[in-house]
Amino acid sequence: MTEITQRRTTWQKLDARARTVLPFGLTVIVLLFGMTPTYVPGLAQITPMYTLVAIYFWAIYRPDLLGYGLGFVIGVLEDLLTGAPLGVGALTLLLTQWIVFNQHKFFHAKPFAITWFAFGLVAFGAMLLKWVGIGLVTSSGFTPFGDLFASYLITVAVYPIIAWLFSKAQSGLLVEP
Amino acid sequence: MKQPTGQISRLGTFKYLAQRFAFLSLIGMTFALMLIGKADTVIVERARMAVSDAVTPILRVMAEPAASISQFVTNVQELGAIREQNTDLRETNARLLEWQAVAQKLENENRQLRALLGTVNEPGAHAISARVVADSGGAFAQSVLITAGGRDGVAKGQAVVTGEGLAGRVTQAGYRSARVLLVTDINSRIPVRVGEAGDRAILAGNNSPRPRLIFLGVKSAIAPGDRVVTSGDAGAFPPGLPVGRVVVSDESSALIEPFVSRDRLQYVEVLDFGLTGILADADGPQ
Repeated sequence: MTEITQRRTTWQKLDARARTVLPFGLTVIVLLFGMTPTYVPGLAQITPMYTLVAIYFWAIYRPDLLGYGLGFVIGVLEDLLTGAPLGVGALTLLLTQWIVFNQHKFFHAKPFAITWFAFGLVAFGAMLLKWVGIGLVTSSGFTPFGDLFASYLITVAVYPIIAWLFSKAQSGLLVEP
Repeated sequence: MKQPTGQISRLGTFKYLAQRFAFLSLIGMTFALMLIGKADTVIVERARMAVSDAVTPILRVMAEPAASISQFVTNVQELGAIREQNTDLRETNARLLEWQAVAQKLENENRQLRALLGTVNEPGAHAISARVVADSGGAFAQSVLITAGGRDGVAKGQAVVTGEGLAGRVTQAGYRSARVLLVTDINSRIPVRVGEAGDRAILAGNNSPRPRLIFLGVKSAIAPGDRVVTSGDAGAFPPGLPVGRVVVSDESSALIEPFVSRDRLQYVEVLDFGLTGILADADGPQ
């Protein structure tokens, strides 16, 4: 009898531990999803910055489960996988987290429209930083700004969809802190 | 103002400082990574390919639904235009039969002339087929991951083509995956020949769908519609692979519309001509 209770608590512990990696796991899935070809003409050129959406969302709602360390890991993973210059993506995500963590009072328990609007501002800064960073690191020059701006608009447009999916996952699988 | 006292405030300060330290050291690490990446060491390349190799099986599964949907849409679209297409194909077929006769005649003539001159035949290409499973980088980079790597004979520097023409070149080859830098990428430079005169130039990508020609001779008279093919200079590519067509040409610039579109890449062929290429390095993956 006692053995069964013992085992169950071990499983429960393991289960709780597994749930804490949910934000990281979902962010990696979103990263891979952004890389799958869509075969829609012109879309690959303006793919949204999915990881930015994910990092921003978890920085507001679960900073305890996706801190600087994991943000850095995701950024480096993205740079390695997408063939972008190493380090620039990671820097962008880290600074995004830094802004949200430092303005926690502003972001905490605010209506959705406000966090969405704030995301528009943060994402614009992040996009500019990545654009300048990549332009400076690679010797080949700067990417045309037009496609980049379109990519930014789409990133802001997909924010509600991803935020909705993530909040569903959070309320379904994560215990409130 | 009341000062918070005791253990809690000390713990809070410690936590705050630890977090700040973690943040600053991670920022430092990103700059270190930029420097390492800039030096373009073999380690970075190996890390990139190790990650790609690990993730490619997952991407392969994820790419399946999009490919099926795209196939379905294409089928429906084709169904609508089937009569029209049939007439077109009949006409094309008749035209191609004429060309076939011409080609056979030329091939015979070519063989005879080669025999007269005693030239050595070019080595034949060995093609490796692969599926495109990831289109990465968005607006910042134009490269794709394919499902063939070192185990299939793919090596750095090889040309990647589709039925339409040149798609790009292999820049990293892992064990079961490889990265193909498309001709439109900002880092892509390809020696080409333009038009009937065969003017030499370099096709330089700029991350837009239309790469431009640079180092074109002053006296060259290229016009919109001219075909651009690889020149084979520097041993980077086999000569004569179709690349694209000139769409805009004025005094300052010439833009090319590549035959291969990034959006339609689904299956590609990696050509192994046995050329070492300008990219090959001694300790790269074989």
